[in-house]
Amino acid sequence: MTTQTTTADTPHTTTTDERTGLIALPPHIARATATAGGALTVVSAFLAWTWTPAFPGDLTYYGYPGGLQWLVLIGGALTALFGLASYGIKGTRWLVPAGADSAIKLSALAAFVTAWYTVIAISVQLGGVINLEPGGYVVALATLAALIGALALPFERPQLLPADPEDAGWDQFKHRAGNQWATTKAAFATGPIAPARRLPGYAEILIITAVLALGLTVFTYGIGTEYDELFLGFLMTAGFGFAALNKAGLIARVSLLTARHRNVAMIGAFVAAAAFPFTQSDDQYATIGVNILIFATVALGLNIVVGLAGLLDLGYVAFLGVGAYAAAMVSGSPSSPYDVHLPFWAAILVGAAVSMIFGVLIGAPTLRLRGDYLAIVTLGFGEIFRITVLNLDGTSGPDVTNGSNGISSIPNLNMFGFDFGAVHTIGGFTIGRFANYFFLMLLVTLIVVVVFRRSAESRIGRAWIAIREDETAALAMGINGFRVKLVAFALGATLAGLAGAVQAHVTYTVTPEQYQFAHVVPPNSAFLLAAVVLGGMGTISGPLVGGALLFLIPNKLQFLGDYQLLAFGVALVLLMRFRPEGLIPNRRRQLEFHENEEAPATLTKAGA
Amino acid sequence: MRQRSLLILTAVLTTGALSLTACGSRDDKGGDAAAGGGTTVVIGVDAPLTGDLSALGLGIKNSVDLAAKQANEKKYVDGVTFKIEALDDQAQPSSGQQNATKLVANKNVLGVVGPLNSSVAESMQKVFDDAKLVQVSPANTNPALTQGQDWNDGTKKRPYASYFRTSTTDAIQGPFAAQYLFNDAKKKKVFVVDDKKTYGAGLAATFKAEFVKLGGKVAGEDHVNPDTKDFSAVVTKIKNSGADVVYYGGEYPAAGPLSKQIKASGAKIPLIGGDGIYSAEFIKLSGKEGVGDLATSVGAPVETLPSAKEFVENYEKAKYKEAFEAYGGYSYDSAWSIIEAVKKVVDDNGGKLPSDARTKVLDAMKGVSFDGVTGKVSFDEFGDATNKQLTVYRYEGNAWKPVKSGTYTG
Amino acid sequence: MNELPQQLVNGLLLGSMYGLVAIGYTMVYGIVQLINFAHGEIFMTGGFGALTVWLILPGGTTLWLALPLMIIGAIIVAVTIAVGAERFAYRPLRGGPRLAPLITAIGISLALQQAVWAWYPGATSSLTFPEIPGGPFHFGSVTIQTGDIFLLTAAPLSMAILGYFVMKTRTGRGMQATAQDPDTAKLMGINTDRIIVVAFALGAAFAAIGAVAYGLKYGEVNFRMGFILGLKAFTAAVLGGIGNIYGAMIGGLALGLAETLATAFIADIPGMQQLGGQSWADVWAFVLLILVLLFRPQGLLGERVADRA
Repeated sequence: MTTQTTTADTPHTTTTDERTGLIALPPHIARATATAGGALTVVSAFLAWTWTPAFPGDLTYYGYPGGLQWLVLIGGALTALFGLASYGIKGTRWLVPAGADSAIKLSALAAFVTAWYTVIAISVQLGGVINLEPGGYVVALATLAALIGALALPFERPQLLPADPEDAGWDQFKHRAGNQWATTKAAFATGPIAPARRLPGYAEILIITAVLALGLTVFTYGIGTEYDELFLGFLMTAGFGFAALNKAGLIARVSLLTARHRNVAMIGAFVAAAAFPFTQSDDQYATIGVNILIFATVALGLNIVVGLAGLLDLGYVAFLGVGAYAAAMVSGSPSSPYDVHLPFWAAILVGAAVSMIFGVLIGAPTLRLRGDYLAIVTLGFGEIFRITVLNLDGTSGPDVTNGSNGISSIPNLNMFGFDFGAVHTIGGFTIGRFANYFFLMLLVTLIVVVVFRRSAESRIGRAWIAIREDETAALAMGINGFRVKLVAFALGATLAGLAGAVQAHVTYTVTPEQYQFAHVVPPNSAFLLAAVVLGGMGTISGPLVGGALLFLIPNKLQFLGDYQLLAFGVALVLLMRFRPEGLIPNRRRQLEFHENEEAPATLTKAGA
Repeated sequence: MRQRSLLILTAVLTTGALSLTACGSRDDKGGDAAAGGGTTVVIGVDAPLTGDLSALGLGIKNSVDLAAKQANEKKYVDGVTFKIEALDDQAQPSSGQQNATKLVANKNVLGVVGPLNSSVAESMQKVFDDAKLVQVSPANTNPALTQGQDWNDGTKKRPYASYFRTSTTDAIQGPFAAQYLFNDAKKKKVFVVDDKKTYGAGLAATFKAEFVKLGGKVAGEDHVNPDTKDFSAVVTKIKNSGADVVYYGGEYPAAGPLSKQIKASGAKIPLIGGDGIYSAEFIKLSGKEGVGDLATSVGAPVETLPSAKEFVENYEKAKYKEAFEAYGGYSYDSAWSIIEAVKKVVDDNGGKLPSDARTKVLDAMKGVSFDGVTGKVSFDEFGDATNKQLTVYRYEGNAWKPVKSGTYTG
Repeated sequence: MNELPQQLVNGLLLGSMYGLVAIGYTMVYGIVQLINFAHGEIFMTGGFGALTVWLILPGGTTLWLALPLMIIGAIIVAVTIAVGAERFAYRPLRGGPRLAPLITAIGISLALQQAVWAWYPGATSSLTFPEIPGGPFHFGSVTIQTGDIFLLTAAPLSMAILGYFVMKTRTGRGMQATAQDPDTAKLMGINTDRIIVVAFALGAAFAAIGAVAYGLKYGEVNFRMGFILGLKAFTAAVLGGIGNIYGAMIGGLALGLAETLATAFIADIPGMQQLGGQSWADVWAFVLLILVLLFRPQGLLGERVADRA
């Protein structure tokens, strides 16, 4: 391996005018093929793809797309739009501030993957390609053409090093694979973003509103997908589509806008979230919605501990449990040993306070030690919490938690005469029980977000980050490490307690087996940690997005069944290997993880 | 110019995407009525279909499926085709609750079989009760589900009118074992062990109460963590307590090794448990040392009931991948009780489903009575099974053999 | 009849098993400061490796002949997985932030557990493990099972071999050097990458021996046996002083004794009747861990208090 350093000094530079695509086609033909392919894809979505309604979604209509056809249509439309934009057609140039080519590639990929997935799924499920109508062939060919055209678009070839001929076969293979990977990465790379013209404030806010509405739509659509195929298609289209928008530079544009109007964006996001129950006709998806909120909010609380202060808490779900149990015991439930019925504001405070006490009790002895001890102690605490709760049933311990039966029949909340258990009608919309709790939970989420933001930007937040980055240096600068860490740990516990108090009321019952280290059903400690890591440590939107994804994917893909946890474990390993900064990286962390590579394009404009 | 086109395009994209949600689901509701020309009635199933308890859950699902198929084959209810919709609750209350709302939202669902775990039932009951949707559990043993939190103090109050069960409660199975041990097997000194789970702790508590009432002596008591297999400390305590029998409230994964370790320590005393250990797995895990161990299970032995034999035959014929396990029979009976109720509602309405079918089915459940896999199936005023037939089995050779079958009387 | 001698033996047996598994944690941590959460699962795969060997051997093979082969099988499986995890999952993350390998370890742990659950035939429930024939041995009021004999011999023997290896061999001294200062060790010509692999492999080998002992003692193996035991073993390593191989065994014994004695005798203390029994044993073990961390954070035998984080 060491011999390679000598060859590195004389690289075979490929000159920059050698701009070719991954597939050899003249650039103008490639561009035309991609754009026309995208347009044809849109048209083909209006054709019948199969003859029988046996395939879910009933893709048998002409002129009336359904289910997966809509997703392919969006992919095709994006491809065509980016294609037009790449010709510089007036009015479309704003679509591609960072260059169109890699956006075309990714959106063509989105349409291709979704379309071919559908076509193959039809053939496999119904037994043979014979089940495809002409529309099925058209869409397959159109998306293929678009993809070939897109991949033939020229791009800046990276400078590659030839393999050392003296190396063993395996090393040569590795080297070649590395080169291919570099080329592929370069094919999807994108240029710097052209500076945006400053729009008047109202226009920017309007755009934010539109983006939020779009976000709500995408989310509502995802949560409401009724069958596995549609959800998979949704994931493919949304994933590649989002990547395409990102490469086009639109995401960076929007984040610039939201950064400029932070409060507007935040309030807007909450209004959009609050609008979710109004898009639903029954409680089916509101139930999922409120559970996503609980999970994502707890993940955000954990992000204070893990993301900001850098403390690994492996038993975080126990604090949720402590809060849930504490609130349930004072809720007036008949199975609570305490015959008290506090109003909800008091119950939620009790939940948070008890959680905080446990946080301090666990944190105080361990936070003085090295970080790794905290991991094992919190992991132990998570298990001990469950065992202790099981034991405190009056037989093998004092009667506190009612053992494995848990605290059940928790009465519905009633605040200011508003019965959370009943169905209400607001402005013609029916709001069911779970939608009521959705609003309540949203309020808690708002509190957690505000607490996170305020504390992260305060003196103590900077101290957390300093401790996380270099504890020794931070201590030398006069930060009281133990106290600062204890505050983070206890604050995290308190926020989990808040969420727990609501969770207890939503599910009517708290039982020990809801709070485990790892289980297929979120929330549990492993999934919470994964939500933080997947989303992005130290950010607000990261755990929210990560939480929503980690909740929806196992919930929707029931066919994964027994392989869910296996897939989850493998995904965790791969994630750490290839994108340790998460989907929505914190700027500082992204730099840290990729210091050897050139700074990502989004950072060049980060001064705003 | 540029600004305006940007705004317009954004607006167009957004409205386009918004209308997508509306259109995307155009065809999802209409499909059900078409199948087979008649009315389709869906029986929901909620059970853990994945994870540690999936064997039991899949047994429940298959048995309900078998009931639906049999009803369709026999054209048991004229003009009605039964379908099942099986949802996975992964043994978690929050998942069960989401499934409950999903089943409530599907207007063709007229009854639900499940869940396996009492804690999951807790989170579902109210959702189903609000929708007047019948729920029949084949496996919940916690008496509080039907008789209220204070059942033990004599004040029984049914919390939810829509909840029924075909399984027996701890309040019957535990005392039955106590009576058998004290009166028939002449055991006077028992060591009670449980695993602190809903099923095990409940069973051990009712057993102990009855055994003491009969005049037996409790030589000792312990609670184990079923995830660890090292019971040596407990076994030493059992051996030194001089007990002549061990009652274990819990399931076979821990009961097997416990029985084996008790015998290996030199204490040659039998272990007895509930239907949680009445499984071939127990025999495998306890090894040949376990011979002589006892288990109680609900219903008469399969060989003596023609309906049970028929169920076993049909189940084998249907070639399910998984065995019907401990709760297969109850699940079949649960599903069949819903089918009976639907039949009554349809017959009373002149061969058609009424518009308020759910409420009608709920009313009809109270009068359901038929000979099921586990014996006579009907429900008392709390929604509990009236069948109180139980059987004691002994591990002999390499299988469970019935030794005494009887009816539990208060 | 006096329970105490038997309970002491029970505790020592349980503790030896914790100790065998704890060695893996302590060696890896001592050298790369990584809590290898997947170690409990490596222990579990060792058990399944041994069982596989037993199943493919022709029926009727006596256990005395099969046992060495089973141990070898267990070691091969466990070491392969441990070294593979080190090479492909942990090594690329070395030098990165400290959280990354920990999360990777959790991922590996879940994946291994579920892979065995899903793909090993019949592993969805416990699988029976062969037993050593022959009755239990009685010494006064103490009874020792045949299955325990293996553990009683394997634990001290393994410790002796390990002690010799670390103190006397070149690789062993390299390990000590790497543990003290990896950069300097590298400068002195020690191939630290290789040392780390050796640490993972040795830890896995001891875990595999522990897994065979587990199978023989309890007569079964199951896909979840590694999680709780791994947790306990790590606690044992911390108790004994993490980084110290003798500490791992001492910590294991202390933990095993604490659990057993808590199960047996806490209920006899007036006022604590309800807090005894096996269901509380884990809680008492946890309390012990917290107490040790409070009053002797370096562990029972640990010396290093310097923070190299």
